[in-house]
Amino acid sequence: MARYIYAATAPQLRGFTALSALISLIIIRIVVATTLSYGLSQYALELLIRTLVLELLPLSVALFVAVRYTMPQGEQVRNMRERGELDALWAAGGDPARDVLLPRVGAGVFAVVLLAAVSCVIALVLTYLSVYGFRAWGMAGYTRSVGQVFSPVVTLIFCMKTVFFSLAVSIIPIVYTPQPQAGDALGASAEIKVLARLFSVILLIEAVSLLGNYY
Amino acid sequence: MDSSNSTPPPVAHLELKARLLLILMAALLLGSAVYILVARGAFERTQQLVLVADDSEGIVVGMDLTFSGFPIGRVGRIELSAEGNARILVDVPLKDAHWLRTSSIFTMENGIVGGTRLRAFSGMLADPPLPEGAERRVLRGDAKAEIPLMVASVRELLGNLNALTKTDAALSAGLTNVQTATEKLNGPHGALGLLFGNEADAKKLITTLDHTNALLARLDGLALKADKQVFGPTGVMADTQATVQQLNGLLADARNSLKKVDAVLHEAQAIGANTREATNDLGALRAEVESSLGKVEHLVNEINRKWPFARATEVKLP
Repeated sequence: MARYIYAATAPQLRGFTALSALISLIIIRIVVATTLSYGLSQYALELLIRTLVLELLPLSVALFVAVRYTMPQGEQVRNMRERGELDALWAAGGDPARDVLLPRVGAGVFAVVLLAAVSCVIALVLTYLSVYGFRAWGMAGYTRSVGQVFSPVVTLIFCMKTVFFSLAVSIIPIVYTPQPQAGDALGASAEIKVLARLFSVILLIEAVSLLGNYY
Repeated sequence: MDSSNSTPPPVAHLELKARLLLILMAALLLGSAVYILVARGAFERTQQLVLVADDSEGIVVGMDLTFSGFPIGRVGRIELSAEGNARILVDVPLKDAHWLRTSSIFTMENGIVGGTRLRAFSGMLADPPLPEGAERRVLRGDAKAEIPLMVASVRELLGNLNALTKTDAALSAGLTNVQTATEKLNGPHGALGLLFGNEADAKKLITTLDHTNALLARLDGLALKADKQVFGPTGVMADTQATVQQLNGLLADARNSLKKVDAVLHEAQAIGANTREATNDLGALRAEVESSLGKVEHLVNEINRKWPFARATEVKLP
């Protein structure tokens, strides 16, 4: 299990942290400059926290982990199944769900939660630095703004959304999807089907979370 | 029992690294939870302030109460009172509570842009601090509510403007009259034509003015003659001046005569005083004479009584 957790998280951690920091910085600059030009800078912090931390970063983490780890792992599992390795494992007295699937799902969930936590913290820090600079005097007001956004309901929805994202990106690629038959020219490949299914579920979770947050 | 291509490659110090990742995640989650609790004011000591409003629209739990633009309190709960008013329970941290005084005013503003704002104003910071659980009325200012009133006013104003600028409106008739008056002013009789309205009356006035001029010329000649007669060398004024001088002489004589009369009056006054003294002496003399006469009469009566041939004076009735 530790090996899977490490393999799912460590190679992505540095790259994704740098990428999310860069994207966050660009979005923060755009939002701060735009709100300043319209004289609405008092809403910049809340807008940034809501768009970046609550919506964009968890979504991008889920997609990143899906593309970088869980979908390749799902392909491996499908190959194992098609080669009969899972049946052989079952026949040898093992449990494919415990020995093959569960570590991969657990690693995927862990990777999504950890990367989401890291990227959200980095985005919060970057937002503070972009608005107040390297000074501590704005900490109280900034903390208050964060507290206003993270009401109990919003926090609960955010946590549930992240968990459901992690479960979706970990489980859906592992679910068996057969490759199209040789004569089925119009049939999409199994990877495309998995990706489409994954996108649909992620969009559904996102839509439900938006409904919960704003209605 | 995994195949070689399905298992991750071996990593040095794998367990330690995995454990570090777990610790990192736990620390991040725990730190985030604590930070959000701090941000929500879970560890602050607060005092409660109750704001009463007619309507709680726009108020949400967690929104700030600001003082001079700085948040000093947070809405904790909203409830409906028995009187039908909205009771907004605000938690004010004790470290910021000193900004609120018994004389503080609280407002709820609905701006055109952005949400509702709760604000506190403390004009007299020397007043006593606001007590725990104090209940205050909120003054409501709604910019959006003013818009329909403003639109109604603008509509009314436009209606009035339309009424003013109509072809049969009073303003149009007034302007026509002004134009007519201007034409008359520019006419041959000018302002007189405007004042009298017709040429005949204007001509009458001009004729009257001519007559008046002639009369004034005659009066001028008359005044010259009168001046000569009054102020000339043989005029009335010279005689009047001589008469006045004579009158001054007469007045001086009269003043001297009056001085003499005054002296005579002084002497008469002195005589009067002497006479008054003499009169007083005569009173005393008269009293003495009367006393002597009383004594003589008494003596005569005594002689008559003692006299042998005195007659009986009593009348005896039969």
